[in-house]
Amino acid sequence: MQDRPTAVELLDALGGFMRDRAENARDRWERFQFQVAANSIGIIKRELELEDGFMRAEWAGLDRLLGAEEMPKEQAALAVRLGERNAELVEQIRSGAFDGEAEARLLPHLWETIVNKVRVASPNEAL
Amino acid sequence: MSPEKRGTGDVAVEAARRVLGDGAAISEPRKLAGGAMHDSWAVDGTVDGSSRELVVRVSPAGRADYEKTRREFEVLKVAFGRGVRCPQPIDVGRFESGEDYLVMSRVRGDSNPRQLVTSDQYAGARKRLIAQLAEDLARIHQISPDDVAAAPNMRGPAAGEDPLAYHRREAEAMFRVFLLNPHPAIDWAFRWLDRQIERLPRPQRAPCVVHGDFRIGNVMYDEDGLTSLLDWEGTHIGEPEEDIAWLCTRVWRFGKNDLQAGGIAPREEWVRACEIASGLEISRERVATWEVLQNIRWAEITMMQARAHLDGHTQSHELAAIGRRTAETELEILRLTGVGARVG
Repeated sequence: MQDRPTAVELLDALGGFMRDRAENARDRWERFQFQVAANSIGIIKRELELEDGFMRAEWAGLDRLLGAEEMPKEQAALAVRLGERNAELVEQIRSGAFDGEAEARLLPHLWETIVNKVRVASPNEAL
Repeated sequence: MSPEKRGTGDVAVEAARRVLGDGAAISEPRKLAGGAMHDSWAVDGTVDGSSRELVVRVSPAGRADYEKTRREFEVLKVAFGRGVRCPQPIDVGRFESGEDYLVMSRVRGDSNPRQLVTSDQYAGARKRLIAQLAEDLARIHQISPDDVAAAPNMRGPAAGEDPLAYHRREAEAMFRVFLLNPHPAIDWAFRWLDRQIERLPRPQRAPCVVHGDFRIGNVMYDEDGLTSLLDWEGTHIGEPEEDIAWLCTRVWRFGKNDLQAGGIAPREEWVRACEIASGLEISRERVATWEVLQNIRWAEITMMQARAHLDGHTQSHELAAIGRRTAETELEILRLTGVGARVG
């Protein structure tokens, strides 16, 4: 167990620094660079807080589309396997397996996973 | 200084000298805001007492693509001759050291799109701009492939092929090259596009020249509106609906999402302005289908930019961060295809 500040608290501090540098920038280029950096800190922070739940939800969605499979317990293994299962889903989409009526099963999953990605990457765009 | 060591500013001065002659007095070059692939320089020259204001765009050795620069030059020449508000192209060439350059007249105006879309100072410019953009776009779309026969490698559909089908195929080829991880939503969107293309009536018009990057960020303006259309690097053969839809893509609205056309007008007002200016009937359904394809293309650009950083080509936290903008573009694709309304 690490001491405080926690990772999220450290990121908050870093983000505050970046925003301050953006506000007091010498020129447009520098302001933009620090704004982008502050945004990236925000992405990392939201990902730390939310991604665990989002990956489980994505796994459950893929179970419904590709058939159930036991979920890896370890986070890194889960990420690898999710990537592989998404590649399988792509193959099935490309082969036409989700054309026609089957599309109604696919679309809610696509919507949910992408809304969750956007909640991490650009929350202002989420809805 | 050895030729390898000289900067793009030195190249710009040398290019200006080729244009203006050895007798010209040439100013210190001033660097302009520009793209990732080139450096643009403002260069002033005086010849026999009269002054010339130039922009010299230099592509550094290794990143130079002379065929592409020549294509842009040739298309600009025709467009300028047809009265399109754009820089007058003056010279194109390359140096033995590997750089190529494009010399153009310098047009007055500002090109900061956020200011154009959001500032009160430009409210009048925004009002005039829609009709001006529609007029100039109509002039561009009157240029036929034969008119730009001198431009090398104007990619476009084969004779009789639907431009939408051709560019959809090209977009998928790009997607397979640039993707960094699976994107089931984009693969689904390609199938949606195929069904649309199958269903829509084939266009009756002959293919034409398109600008290829017709967005609000490539508009130069002053308080009276449009002064110049910039950045013709993407010019190719297609159909009007392609440029019309690109102006509507969500990413360049600067938050003004009820004004789909570049953050300055509702989509329908823009399409109508294009019809009035061109005298053509613009298919709303084709524009809507193009807008999905254009968002896929934007998603590919975000992947390409992130890849440039990840491959070590250009170390940049900014390029890396753009990679996370793919997601909002996928969400827009799902909205435009009606998925959001069905399941959201």
